[in-house]
Amino acid sequence: MLVKQVPDPEAIVKVKSDSELEIENKYFTNFFDEIAIEAGLKLKEKFGGKVTVLTVDNKKVDALRRGIAMGADDAIQITDPALEGSDQFAIAKALAAYLKDKPFDLILAGRQAMDDDAGIVGPAVAELLGIPHVNTIIGLEVDDPKKEVKVLREVEGGKEILSCSLPALFTCQKGLNNPRIPQVMNVMKAMKTQIKKVDLAALGLNAADAGSQAAKIKVQKYLSSPKRPPVKMIKEDFPENVKSLVKLLKEEAKVI
Amino acid sequence: MPNEIWVLAEQREGKVRKVTFELLSASAEFSEKTGFQVGAIVLGSGLQEAVKSLSPFADKIYLMDDPALASYTSDTYLINMAPFIKEHRPSVLLGGATSTGKDLFPRLAMHLQTGYAPDCTGLNIEENGNLIAKRPLYGGKVFAEMIFSEARPQMATVRNNTFLVNQNLNKSAQVIAISSHTDPPSLKKKIVGLEKAAGTKLDITEAEVVVAAGRGIKAPENFKILEELADALNASVGTTRAIVDEGWRDQKDQIGKSGKNISAKLYMAFGISGAIHHVLGIGTCKTVVAVDTDPNALIFNYADYGIVGDLFQIIPALTEELKKALKE
Repeated sequence: MLVKQVPDPEAIVKVKSDSELEIENKYFTNFFDEIAIEAGLKLKEKFGGKVTVLTVDNKKVDALRRGIAMGADDAIQITDPALEGSDQFAIAKALAAYLKDKPFDLILAGRQAMDDDAGIVGPAVAELLGIPHVNTIIGLEVDDPKKEVKVLREVEGGKEILSCSLPALFTCQKGLNNPRIPQVMNVMKAMKTQIKKVDLAALGLNAADAGSQAAKIKVQKYLSSPKRPPVKMIKEDFPENVKSLVKLLKEEAKVI
Repeated sequence: MPNEIWVLAEQREGKVRKVTFELLSASAEFSEKTGFQVGAIVLGSGLQEAVKSLSPFADKIYLMDDPALASYTSDTYLINMAPFIKEHRPSVLLGGATSTGKDLFPRLAMHLQTGYAPDCTGLNIEENGNLIAKRPLYGGKVFAEMIFSEARPQMATVRNNTFLVNQNLNKSAQVIAISSHTDPPSLKKKIVGLEKAAGTKLDITEAEVVVAAGRGIKAPENFKILEELADALNASVGTTRAIVDEGWRDQKDQIGKSGKNISAKLYMAFGISGAIHHVLGIGTCKTVVAVDTDPNALIFNYADYGIVGDLFQIIPALTEELKKALKE
Protein backbone atom coordinates (compact mmCIF):
# COMPACT_ATOMS: atom_id res chain seq x y z
CA MET A 1 0.00 0.00 0.00
CA LEU A 2 1.42 3.37 -0.99
CA VAL A 3 0.45 5.93 1.64
CA LYS A 4 1.03 9.57 2.51
CA GLN A 5 0.46 11.94 5.39
CA VAL A 6 -1.31 15.09 4.13
CA PRO A 7 -2.88 18.23 5.64
CA ASP A 8 -6.30 17.59 7.15
CA PRO A 9 -9.17 18.98 5.01
CA GLU A 10 -9.84 21.53 7.78
CA ALA A 11 -6.21 22.73 7.86
CA ILE A 12 -5.63 26.31 6.76
CA VAL A 13 -3.41 26.62 3.69
CA LYS A 14 -2.35 30.10 2.58
CA VAL A 15 0.04 31.62 0.10
CA LYS A 16 3.00 33.11 1.98
CA SER A 17 4.92 34.26 -1.08
CA ASP A 18 5.20 33.36 -4.78
CA SER A 19 7.28 30.35 -3.86
CA GLU A 20 6.04 29.39 -0.42
CA LEU A 21 2.86 28.19 1.28
CA GLU A 22 1.89 28.42 4.90
CA ILE A 23 0.30 25.15 6.00
CA GLU A 24 -1.34 24.69 9.37
CA ASN A 25 0.23 21.84 11.32
CA LYS A 26 -2.79 19.56 11.19
CA TYR A 27 -2.08 16.35 9.33
CA PHE A 28 -3.89 13.08 8.80
CA THR A 29 -3.47 9.95 6.73
CA ASN A 30 -4.66 10.65 3.20
CA PHE A 31 -8.32 9.64 3.16
CA PHE A 32 -8.06 7.61 -0.07
CA ASP A 33 -4.95 5.80 1.24
CA GLU A 34 -6.94 4.54 4.22
CA ILE A 35 -9.37 3.02 1.73
CA ALA A 36 -6.40 1.32 0.04
CA ILE A 37 -5.11 -0.02 3.37
CA GLU A 38 -8.57 -1.34 4.24
CA ALA A 39 -8.83 -3.08 0.86
CA GLY A 40 -5.44 -4.72 1.43
CA LEU A 41 -6.35 -5.88 4.93
CA LYS A 42 -9.62 -7.39 3.68
CA LEU A 43 -7.69 -9.42 1.08
CA LYS A 44 -5.21 -10.55 3.73
CA GLU A 45 -8.07 -11.74 5.95
CA LYS A 46 -9.48 -13.75 3.07
CA PHE A 47 -6.39 -15.13 1.36
CA GLY A 48 -3.55 -14.69 3.85
CA GLY A 49 -0.35 -12.97 2.82
CA LYS A 50 1.28 -9.85 4.14
CA VAL A 51 0.40 -6.17 3.99
CA THR A 52 3.21 -3.63 3.82
CA VAL A 53 2.70 0.13 3.96
CA LEU A 54 5.20 2.29 2.13
CA THR A 55 5.75 6.05 2.10
CA VAL A 56 8.22 8.53 0.65
CA ASP A 57 8.65 11.29 3.20
CA ASN A 58 11.59 12.73 5.08
CA LYS A 59 9.62 13.75 8.14
CA LYS A 60 6.08 12.47 8.46
CA VAL A 61 5.52 8.78 9.15
CA ASP A 62 2.14 8.89 10.91
CA ALA A 63 0.45 7.42 7.81
CA LEU A 64 2.68 4.35 8.27
CA ARG A 65 1.76 4.14 11.95
CA ARG A 66 -1.90 4.39 11.00
CA GLY A 67 -1.41 1.51 8.59
CA ILE A 68 0.23 -0.62 11.30
CA ALA A 69 -2.53 0.30 13.77
CA MET A 70 -5.13 -0.79 11.24
CA GLY A 71 -3.37 -4.16 10.83
CA ALA A 72 -0.50 -3.87 8.33
CA ASP A 73 2.50 -6.13 8.98
CA ASP A 74 5.37 -3.91 7.89
CA ALA A 75 6.13 -0.25 7.39
CA ILE A 76 8.81 1.18 5.11
CA GLN A 77 9.89 4.81 4.91
CA ILE A 78 11.89 5.90 1.88
CA THR A 79 13.79 8.92 3.10
CA ASP A 80 16.73 10.90 1.76
CA PRO A 81 17.68 14.59 1.90
CA ALA A 82 18.03 14.49 -1.90
CA LEU A 83 14.27 13.79 -2.21
CA GLU A 84 13.42 17.33 -1.03
CA GLY A 85 11.68 19.22 -3.86
CA SER A 86 10.99 16.07 -5.91
CA ASP A 87 8.08 15.96 -8.33
CA GLN A 88 5.66 13.04 -8.45
CA PHE A 89 7.72 11.26 -11.12
CA ALA A 90 10.81 11.14 -8.89
CA ILE A 91 8.66 9.86 -5.99
CA ALA A 92 7.33 7.16 -8.32
CA LYS A 93 10.89 6.22 -9.32
CA ALA A 94 11.89 5.77 -5.67
CA LEU A 95 8.82 3.63 -4.95
CA ALA A 96 9.30 1.52 -8.06
CA ALA A 97 13.00 1.04 -7.26
CA TYR A 98 12.02 -0.33 -3.86
CA LEU A 99 9.21 -2.53 -5.20
CA LYS A 100 10.86 -3.97 -8.31
CA ASP A 101 12.42 -7.02 -6.65
CA LYS A 102 9.75 -7.56 -3.96
CA PRO A 103 7.32 -10.48 -4.29
CA PHE A 104 4.07 -8.51 -4.43
CA ASP A 105 0.76 -9.55 -5.99
CA LEU A 106 -1.04 -6.29 -5.69
CA ILE A 107 -0.14 -2.65 -5.08
CA LEU A 108 -2.89 -0.37 -3.84
CA ALA A 109 -2.78 3.41 -3.51
CA GLY A 110 -5.28 6.19 -2.95
CA ARG A 111 -6.99 7.91 -5.87
CA GLN A 112 -4.90 10.99 -5.16
CA ALA A 113 -3.17 12.65 -2.23
CA MET A 114 -5.21 15.47 -0.76
CA ASP A 115 -2.30 17.92 -0.94
CA ASP A 116 -1.05 18.10 -4.53
CA ASP A 117 -4.27 16.39 -5.72
CA ALA A 118 -2.29 15.02 -8.66
CA GLY A 119 -3.03 11.29 -8.92
CA ILE A 120 0.26 10.70 -10.74
CA VAL A 121 2.31 8.45 -8.48
CA GLY A 122 0.10 5.33 -8.69
CA PRO A 123 -0.08 4.99 -12.49
CA ALA A 124 3.56 6.13 -12.83
CA VAL A 125 4.74 3.35 -10.47
CA ALA A 126 2.75 0.82 -12.52
CA GLU A 127 4.40 2.08 -15.70
CA LEU A 128 7.89 1.77 -14.20
CA LEU A 129 7.16 -1.75 -12.97
CA GLY A 130 5.54 -2.75 -16.28
CA ILE A 131 2.33 -3.93 -14.61
CA PRO A 132 -1.26 -2.95 -15.46
CA HIS A 133 -3.07 -0.31 -13.44
CA VAL A 134 -6.67 0.77 -13.05
CA ASN A 135 -7.56 4.12 -11.52
CA THR A 136 -10.32 5.01 -9.04
CA ILE A 137 -11.73 1.56 -8.39
CA ILE A 138 -14.95 1.17 -6.38
CA GLY A 139 -15.09 -2.63 -6.48
CA LEU A 140 -12.45 -5.36 -6.17
CA GLU A 141 -12.85 -9.12 -6.43
CA VAL A 142 -9.82 -11.42 -6.45
CA ASP A 143 -9.79 -14.88 -7.97
CA ASP A 144 -6.72 -16.10 -6.11
CA PRO A 145 -6.04 -19.44 -7.88
CA LYS A 146 -6.26 -17.77 -11.29
CA LYS A 147 -4.24 -14.74 -10.23
CA GLU A 148 -6.92 -12.61 -11.78
CA VAL A 149 -8.90 -9.68 -10.48
CA LYS A 150 -12.18 -8.08 -11.42
CA VAL A 151 -12.40 -4.38 -10.67
CA LEU A 152 -15.20 -1.90 -10.97
CA ARG A 153 -14.29 1.61 -12.02
CA GLU A 154 -16.46 4.68 -12.24
CA VAL A 155 -16.53 6.43 -15.61
CA GLU A 156 -18.73 9.21 -16.98
CA GLY A 157 -22.15 7.75 -17.57
CA GLY A 158 -21.60 4.39 -15.92
CA LYS A 159 -19.29 1.86 -14.35
CA GLU A 160 -16.72 -0.25 -16.19
CA ILE A 161 -15.99 -3.81 -15.14
CA LEU A 162 -12.42 -4.81 -15.99
CA SER A 163 -10.61 -8.08 -15.65
CA CYS A 164 -6.93 -7.76 -14.95
CA SER A 165 -4.04 -10.15 -14.45
CA LEU A 166 -1.85 -9.96 -11.33
CA PRO A 167 0.43 -8.40 -10.33
CA ALA A 168 -1.31 -5.06 -10.82
CA LEU A 169 -1.72 -1.64 -9.26
CA PHE A 170 -5.07 -0.05 -8.44
CA THR A 171 -5.89 3.38 -7.06
CA CYS A 172 -8.81 3.39 -4.65
CA GLN A 173 -11.83 5.67 -4.62
CA LYS A 174 -14.40 6.42 -1.93
CA GLY A 175 -17.15 3.81 -2.16
CA LEU A 176 -14.77 0.82 -2.24
CA ASN A 177 -15.06 0.27 1.52
CA ASN A 178 -15.27 2.00 4.89
CA PRO A 179 -11.81 2.03 6.49
CA ARG A 180 -11.73 0.51 9.98
CA ILE A 181 -10.97 2.60 13.04
CA PRO A 182 -7.97 1.02 14.76
CA GLN A 183 -8.33 -0.14 18.37
CA VAL A 184 -6.51 1.89 21.01
CA MET A 185 -4.28 -1.09 21.85
CA ASN A 186 -3.14 -1.30 18.25
CA VAL A 187 -2.53 2.43 18.08
CA MET A 188 -0.25 2.13 21.12
CA LYS A 189 1.55 -0.81 19.53
CA ALA A 190 1.97 1.09 16.27
CA MET A 191 3.64 3.97 18.12
CA LYS A 192 6.42 1.58 19.12
CA THR A 193 6.71 -0.32 15.85
CA GLN A 194 10.09 -0.08 14.20
CA ILE A 195 9.84 1.63 10.82
CA LYS A 196 12.41 0.48 8.29
CA LYS A 197 14.21 3.36 6.63
CA VAL A 198 15.56 3.11 3.11
CA ASP A 199 17.62 5.79 1.35
CA LEU A 200 18.22 6.41 -2.36
CA ALA A 201 21.63 4.71 -2.38
CA ALA A 202 20.05 1.51 -1.02
CA LEU A 203 17.62 1.69 -3.94
CA GLY A 204 20.38 2.11 -6.48
CA LEU A 205 19.31 5.67 -7.26
CA ASN A 206 21.44 8.79 -7.47
CA ALA A 207 20.68 12.10 -5.86
CA ALA A 208 20.43 13.48 -9.41
CA ASP A 209 17.35 11.24 -10.01
CA ALA A 210 15.42 13.20 -7.39
CA GLY A 211 14.95 16.70 -6.04
CA SER A 212 14.06 19.87 -7.88
CA GLN A 213 16.82 19.63 -10.50
CA ALA A 214 15.25 16.40 -11.80
CA ALA A 215 11.71 17.79 -11.76
CA LYS A 216 9.83 17.72 -15.05
CA ILE A 217 7.34 20.22 -13.74
CA LYS A 218 7.58 22.89 -11.06
CA VAL A 219 5.67 25.67 -9.39
CA GLN A 220 6.42 29.05 -10.93
CA LYS A 221 4.09 30.90 -8.62
CA TYR A 222 1.52 30.16 -5.91
CA LEU A 223 -1.77 32.02 -6.15
CA SER A 224 -4.51 32.59 -3.60
CA SER A 225 -7.81 31.08 -4.58
CA PRO A 226 -9.99 33.67 -6.32
CA LYS A 227 -12.53 35.26 -3.98
CA ARG A 228 -16.15 35.43 -4.98
CA PRO A 229 -17.70 38.92 -4.64
CA PRO A 230 -19.91 39.27 -1.52
CA VAL A 231 -23.14 37.32 -1.75
CA LYS A 232 -26.24 39.15 -2.90
CA MET A 233 -29.04 38.09 -0.54
CA ILE A 234 -32.51 38.25 -2.06
CA LYS A 235 -34.62 39.46 0.81
CA GLU A 236 -38.10 39.66 -0.68
CA ASP A 237 -40.86 37.35 0.53
CA PHE A 238 -41.89 34.20 -1.31
CA PRO A 239 -42.69 34.01 -4.23
CA GLU A 240 -41.18 37.37 -5.26
CA ASN A 241 -37.73 36.13 -4.20
CA VAL A 242 -37.94 33.27 -6.73
CA LYS A 243 -38.96 35.67 -9.52
CA SER A 244 -36.07 37.99 -8.65
CA LEU A 245 -33.59 35.13 -8.63
CA VAL A 246 -34.62 34.01 -12.12
CA LYS A 247 -34.36 37.61 -13.34
CA LEU A 248 -30.84 37.99 -11.88
CA LEU A 249 -29.67 34.69 -13.37
CA LYS A 250 -30.98 35.76 -16.73
CA GLU A 251 -30.06 39.42 -16.87
CA GLU A 252 -27.14 39.91 -14.48
CA ALA A 253 -25.27 36.59 -14.34
CA LYS A 254 -26.42 35.65 -17.86
CA VAL A 255 -26.18 31.94 -17.11
CA ILE A 256 -29.62 30.82 -18.28
CA MET B 1 11.45 20.91 -33.89
CA PRO B 2 8.27 20.27 -31.89
CA ASN B 3 5.78 22.71 -33.26
CA GLU B 4 2.31 21.30 -32.82
CA ILE B 5 -0.32 21.39 -30.10
CA TRP B 6 -2.17 18.11 -29.80
CA VAL B 7 -5.46 17.39 -28.10
CA LEU B 8 -6.49 13.84 -27.26
CA ALA B 9 -10.04 13.78 -28.65
CA GLU B 10 -12.28 11.72 -26.41
CA GLN B 11 -15.24 10.07 -27.99
CA ARG B 12 -17.76 7.46 -27.04
CA GLU B 13 -19.65 5.67 -29.80
CA GLY B 14 -18.48 8.30 -32.27
CA LYS B 15 -19.73 11.26 -30.26
CA VAL B 16 -16.88 13.58 -29.30
CA ARG B 17 -16.95 14.96 -25.75
CA LYS B 18 -17.50 18.65 -25.21
CA VAL B 19 -14.24 19.04 -23.30
CA THR B 20 -12.38 18.10 -26.50
CA PHE B 21 -13.96 21.03 -28.36
CA GLU B 22 -13.17 23.29 -25.42
CA LEU B 23 -9.50 22.28 -25.58
CA LEU B 24 -9.34 22.61 -29.37
CA SER B 25 -10.84 26.11 -29.07
CA ALA B 26 -8.22 27.12 -26.51
CA SER B 27 -5.51 25.53 -28.68
CA ALA B 28 -6.65 27.62 -31.64
CA GLU B 29 -5.87 30.73 -29.57
CA PHE B 30 -2.48 29.30 -28.58
CA SER B 31 -1.89 28.58 -32.25
CA GLU B 32 -2.30 32.27 -33.13
CA LYS B 33 0.23 33.20 -30.49
CA THR B 34 2.86 30.59 -31.35
CA GLY B 35 2.25 29.72 -34.99
CA PHE B 36 1.93 26.07 -33.93
CA GLN B 37 -0.61 23.92 -35.73
CA VAL B 38 -3.40 22.21 -33.82
CA GLY B 39 -3.79 18.45 -34.10
CA ALA B 40 -6.57 16.29 -32.73
CA ILE B 41 -5.54 12.71 -32.03
CA VAL B 42 -8.46 10.32 -31.97
CA LEU B 43 -8.54 6.59 -31.24
CA GLY B 44 -11.53 4.31 -31.57
CA SER B 45 -13.58 2.24 -33.92
CA GLY B 46 -15.88 3.62 -36.62
CA LEU B 47 -14.84 7.23 -36.34
CA GLN B 48 -16.39 8.91 -39.43
CA GLU B 49 -18.83 10.94 -37.32
CA ALA B 50 -16.10 11.94 -34.88
CA VAL B 51 -13.82 13.09 -37.71
CA LYS B 52 -16.62 15.13 -39.23
CA SER B 53 -17.37 16.93 -35.97
CA LEU B 54 -13.67 17.55 -35.20
CA SER B 55 -12.72 18.84 -38.64
CA PRO B 56 -13.77 22.50 -38.15
CA PHE B 57 -11.77 22.69 -34.90
CA ALA B 58 -8.33 21.39 -35.90
CA ASP B 59 -5.65 21.77 -38.57
CA LYS B 60 -4.88 18.05 -38.53
CA ILE B 61 -6.63 14.94 -37.32
CA TYR B 62 -4.44 11.96 -36.45
CA LEU B 63 -6.74 9.01 -36.76
CA MET B 64 -6.39 5.50 -35.37
CA ASP B 65 -9.51 3.65 -36.39
CA ASP B 66 -9.36 0.03 -35.26
CA PRO B 67 -11.94 -2.33 -33.69
CA ALA B 68 -9.34 -3.19 -31.03
CA LEU B 69 -9.54 0.45 -29.88
CA ALA B 70 -13.34 0.48 -29.50
CA SER B 71 -13.16 1.05 -25.75
CA TYR B 72 -10.47 2.77 -23.74
CA THR B 73 -7.90 0.95 -21.70
CA SER B 74 -4.59 2.55 -20.75
CA ASP B 75 -2.73 -0.46 -22.27
CA THR B 76 -4.13 -0.10 -25.77
CA TYR B 77 -3.94 3.68 -25.81
CA LEU B 78 -0.39 3.75 -24.49
CA ILE B 79 0.91 1.13 -26.93
CA ASN B 80 -0.54 3.08 -29.84
CA MET B 81 0.06 6.67 -28.77
CA ALA B 82 3.53 6.52 -27.24
CA PRO B 83 5.59 5.60 -30.34
CA PHE B 84 3.66 8.10 -32.42
CA ILE B 85 4.23 10.90 -29.90
CA LYS B 86 7.93 10.02 -29.65
CA GLU B 87 8.25 10.23 -33.40
CA HIS B 88 6.51 13.60 -33.77
CA ARG B 89 7.30 15.22 -30.40
CA PRO B 90 4.47 17.74 -30.31
CA SER B 91 5.16 20.71 -28.07
CA VAL B 92 1.94 20.30 -26.09
CA LEU B 93 -0.45 17.40 -25.45
CA LEU B 94 -3.78 18.20 -23.79
CA GLY B 95 -6.65 16.06 -22.59
CA GLY B 96 -9.77 16.38 -20.47
CA ALA B 97 -9.49 15.76 -16.73
CA THR B 98 -11.91 12.89 -17.26
CA SER B 99 -11.88 9.26 -16.17
CA THR B 100 -9.84 8.54 -19.31
CA GLY B 101 -7.48 11.52 -19.10
CA LYS B 102 -6.69 11.03 -15.43
CA ASP B 103 -6.04 7.31 -16.00
CA LEU B 104 -3.90 7.63 -19.13
CA PHE B 105 -1.91 10.87 -18.86
CA PRO B 106 0.16 10.15 -15.73
CA ARG B 107 1.24 6.79 -17.12
CA LEU B 108 1.92 8.18 -20.57
CA ALA B 109 3.96 11.07 -19.11
CA MET B 110 6.06 8.64 -17.07
CA HIS B 111 6.58 6.53 -20.16
CA LEU B 112 7.63 9.54 -22.25
CA GLN B 113 9.75 10.98 -19.39
CA THR B 114 8.00 14.30 -19.70
CA GLY B 115 6.10 16.71 -17.44
CA TYR B 116 2.39 16.52 -16.73
CA ALA B 117 0.07 18.96 -14.93
CA PRO B 118 -3.16 17.25 -13.86
CA ASP B 119 -6.68 18.64 -13.41
CA CYS B 120 -5.89 22.19 -14.56
CA THR B 121 -8.34 25.09 -14.36
CA GLY B 122 -6.45 27.37 -16.71
CA LEU B 123 -3.75 27.27 -19.38
CA ASN B 124 -1.61 29.86 -21.08
CA ILE B 125 1.19 29.69 -23.59
CA GLU B 126 4.13 31.98 -24.26
CA GLU B 127 5.18 32.92 -27.77
CA ASN B 128 8.11 30.51 -27.56
CA GLY B 129 5.68 27.66 -26.87
CA ASN B 130 6.25 27.32 -23.13
CA LEU B 131 3.04 26.21 -21.46
CA ILE B 132 1.89 27.64 -18.13
CA ALA B 133 -0.68 25.44 -16.38
CA LYS B 134 -2.81 26.72 -13.53
CA ARG B 135 -4.05 24.08 -11.12
CA PRO B 136 -5.68 23.88 -7.71
CA LEU B 137 -3.76 22.40 -4.77
CA TYR B 138 -5.03 21.32 -1.35
CA GLY B 139 -8.51 20.87 -2.78
CA GLY B 140 -8.56 24.42 -4.17
CA LYS B 141 -7.45 26.29 -1.05
CA VAL B 142 -4.59 27.65 -3.17
CA PHE B 143 -3.60 27.51 -6.83
CA ALA B 144 -0.23 27.15 -8.55
CA GLU B 145 1.10 28.19 -11.92
CA MET B 146 3.16 25.26 -13.12
CA ILE B 147 5.97 25.39 -15.69
CA PHE B 148 7.61 22.52 -17.55
CA SER B 149 11.20 21.39 -18.04
CA GLU B 150 12.72 21.15 -21.54
CA ALA B 151 11.11 17.73 -22.09
CA ARG B 152 8.35 17.58 -24.69
CA PRO B 153 5.43 17.26 -24.98
CA GLN B 154 4.21 19.46 -22.14
CA MET B 155 1.21 17.46 -20.96
CA ALA B 156 -1.87 18.65 -19.08
CA THR B 157 -5.40 17.52 -18.33
CA VAL B 158 -7.99 20.26 -17.98
CA ARG B 159 -11.32 20.29 -16.17
CA ASN B 160 -14.57 20.30 -18.09
CA ASN B 161 -16.07 23.77 -18.69
CA THR B 162 -12.74 25.60 -18.24
CA PHE B 163 -12.77 27.04 -21.78
CA LEU B 164 -15.62 28.12 -24.04
CA VAL B 165 -16.22 26.31 -27.30
CA ASN B 166 -15.56 28.59 -30.28
CA GLN B 167 -18.03 27.58 -33.00
CA ASN B 168 -16.47 29.99 -35.52
CA LEU B 169 -13.07 28.43 -36.11
CA ASN B 170 -14.17 27.10 -39.52
CA LYS B 171 -11.06 25.03 -40.05
CA SER B 172 -11.01 22.05 -42.31
CA ALA B 173 -8.63 19.48 -40.90
CA GLN B 174 -6.28 17.35 -42.91
CA VAL B 175 -6.99 13.75 -41.88
CA ILE B 176 -3.93 11.56 -41.39
CA ALA B 177 -4.62 7.87 -40.81
CA ILE B 178 -2.16 6.16 -38.48
CA SER B 179 -1.79 2.41 -38.45
CA SER B 180 -2.49 0.96 -35.03
CA HIS B 181 -0.67 -1.99 -33.52
CA THR B 182 -2.60 -3.75 -30.83
CA ASP B 183 -1.86 -7.35 -30.06
CA PRO B 184 -4.87 -8.49 -27.99
CA PRO B 185 -3.24 -11.56 -26.35
CA SER B 186 -0.47 -9.39 -24.92
CA LEU B 187 -2.93 -7.19 -23.03
CA LYS B 188 -3.00 -7.65 -19.31
CA LYS B 189 -6.42 -6.20 -18.75
CA LYS B 190 -9.64 -5.87 -20.64
CA ILE B 191 -13.06 -4.40 -20.20
CA VAL B 192 -15.53 -7.20 -19.63
CA GLY B 193 -18.63 -5.14 -19.00
CA LEU B 194 -20.16 -1.73 -18.67
CA GLU B 195 -22.99 -0.85 -16.30
CA LYS B 196 -24.64 2.17 -17.79
CA ALA B 197 -25.97 4.72 -15.33
CA ALA B 198 -29.72 5.11 -15.36
CA GLY B 199 -31.05 8.10 -17.30
CA THR B 200 -29.35 10.30 -19.81
CA LYS B 201 -27.94 12.98 -17.54
CA LEU B 202 -24.37 14.15 -18.02
CA ASP B 203 -21.86 13.45 -15.30
CA ILE B 204 -21.77 16.33 -12.78
CA THR B 205 -18.21 17.16 -13.91
CA GLU B 206 -19.41 17.65 -17.50
CA ALA B 207 -22.76 19.39 -16.98
CA GLU B 208 -22.97 23.15 -17.48
CA VAL B 209 -25.66 23.41 -14.83
CA VAL B 210 -25.67 21.39 -11.61
CA VAL B 211 -28.34 21.49 -8.90
CA ALA B 212 -27.69 19.80 -5.56
CA ALA B 213 -29.30 19.15 -2.22
CA GLY B 214 -27.89 18.27 1.19
CA ARG B 215 -29.39 17.25 4.50
CA GLY B 216 -32.11 19.89 4.11
CA ILE B 217 -33.85 17.58 1.64
CA LYS B 218 -34.77 15.32 4.61
CA ALA B 219 -35.57 12.10 2.73
CA PRO B 220 -34.27 10.33 -0.39
CA GLU B 221 -37.66 10.42 -2.13
CA ASN B 222 -37.66 14.22 -1.89
CA PHE B 223 -34.95 14.40 -4.55
CA LYS B 224 -37.86 14.10 -6.97
CA ILE B 225 -38.51 17.86 -6.83
CA LEU B 226 -34.84 18.49 -7.51
CA GLU B 227 -34.89 16.10 -10.48
CA GLU B 228 -37.79 18.11 -11.89
CA LEU B 229 -35.83 21.33 -11.51
CA ALA B 230 -32.86 19.63 -13.19
CA ASP B 231 -35.06 18.54 -16.11
CA ALA B 232 -36.27 22.11 -16.63
CA LEU B 233 -32.68 23.40 -16.73
CA ASN B 234 -31.11 20.43 -18.53
CA ALA B 235 -28.98 20.12 -15.41
CA SER B 236 -27.41 17.23 -13.54
CA VAL B 237 -28.11 16.48 -9.88
CA GLY B 238 -25.32 16.52 -7.32
CA THR B 239 -25.22 16.06 -3.58
CA THR B 240 -23.07 16.15 -0.44
CA ARG B 241 -20.98 13.59 1.35
CA ALA B 242 -23.54 13.21 4.17
CA ILE B 243 -26.25 12.19 1.70
CA VAL B 244 -23.99 9.68 -0.08
CA ASP B 245 -22.90 8.21 3.25
CA GLU B 246 -26.60 7.78 4.14
CA GLY B 247 -26.91 5.76 0.94
CA TRP B 248 -29.53 8.13 -0.50
CA ARG B 249 -27.57 8.95 -3.67
CA ASP B 250 -24.76 7.34 -5.63
CA GLN B 251 -21.11 8.10 -4.91
CA LYS B 252 -20.69 9.40 -8.46
CA ASP B 253 -22.89 12.40 -7.63
CA GLN B 254 -20.89 13.57 -4.60
CA ILE B 255 -19.43 17.07 -4.87
CA GLY B 256 -16.44 17.99 -2.72
CA LYS B 257 -13.06 16.91 -1.52
CA SER B 258 -13.71 13.18 -1.30
CA GLY B 259 -16.05 13.37 -4.30
CA LYS B 260 -15.77 15.45 -7.44
CA ASN B 261 -14.77 19.00 -8.27
CA ILE B 262 -17.14 20.72 -10.64
CA SER B 263 -16.72 23.82 -12.80
CA ALA B 264 -20.34 24.38 -13.78
CA LYS B 265 -21.55 27.63 -15.33
CA LEU B 266 -24.40 27.61 -12.79
CA TYR B 267 -24.48 25.72 -9.51
CA MET B 268 -27.48 25.78 -7.17
CA ALA B 269 -27.24 24.40 -3.63
CA PHE B 270 -30.39 23.64 -1.64
CA GLY B 271 -30.32 22.77 2.04
CA ILE B 272 -26.52 22.51 2.03
CA SER B 273 -24.83 24.04 5.06
CA GLY B 274 -21.51 24.60 3.29
CA ALA B 275 -18.94 22.40 5.06
CA ILE B 276 -15.42 23.03 3.79
CA HIS B 277 -15.37 19.53 2.21
CA HIS B 278 -18.25 20.56 -0.01
CA VAL B 279 -17.40 24.15 -0.95
CA LEU B 280 -13.89 23.17 -2.05
CA GLY B 281 -15.55 21.21 -4.85
CA ILE B 282 -17.42 24.23 -6.26
CA GLY B 283 -14.66 26.86 -6.15
CA THR B 284 -14.36 27.09 -9.93
CA CYS B 285 -18.11 27.26 -10.68
CA LYS B 286 -19.02 30.54 -12.39
CA THR B 287 -22.28 31.44 -10.64
CA VAL B 288 -23.38 29.89 -7.35
CA VAL B 289 -26.87 30.11 -5.88
CA ALA B 290 -27.57 29.00 -2.30
CA VAL B 291 -30.92 28.37 -0.62
CA ASP B 292 -31.04 27.42 3.04
CA THR B 293 -33.32 28.00 6.04
CA ASP B 294 -30.38 29.05 8.23
CA PRO B 295 -29.37 32.68 7.55
CA ASN B 296 -25.94 31.94 9.06
CA ALA B 297 -25.22 28.90 6.89
CA LEU B 298 -21.61 28.96 5.67
CA ILE B 299 -22.71 28.20 2.13
CA PHE B 300 -23.75 31.85 1.73
CA ASN B 301 -20.07 32.87 2.05
CA TYR B 302 -19.37 30.92 -1.12
CA ALA B 303 -22.41 31.99 -3.16
CA ASP B 304 -23.21 34.82 -5.58
CA TYR B 305 -26.94 34.82 -4.82
CA GLY B 306 -28.61 33.65 -1.64
CA ILE B 307 -32.15 33.10 -0.44
CA VAL B 308 -33.03 32.28 3.15
CA GLY B 309 -36.01 30.02 2.73
CA ASP B 310 -37.56 26.59 2.63
CA LEU B 311 -36.37 24.47 -0.26
CA PHE B 312 -39.69 22.57 -0.38
CA GLN B 313 -41.38 25.87 -1.21
CA ILE B 314 -38.62 27.36 -3.37
CA ILE B 315 -37.65 24.46 -5.64
CA PRO B 316 -41.10 23.81 -7.20
CA ALA B 317 -41.72 27.55 -7.66
CA LEU B 318 -38.28 27.99 -9.20
CA THR B 319 -38.93 25.10 -11.60
CA GLU B 320 -42.13 26.76 -12.84
CA GLU B 321 -40.53 30.20 -13.05
CA LEU B 322 -37.53 28.87 -14.99
CA LYS B 323 -39.75 26.97 -17.41
CA LYS B 324 -41.52 30.26 -18.16
CA ALA B 325 -38.26 32.20 -18.48
CA LEU B 326 -36.64 29.63 -20.75
CA LYS B 327 -39.65 29.62 -23.07
CA GLU B 328 -39.35 33.39 -23.65
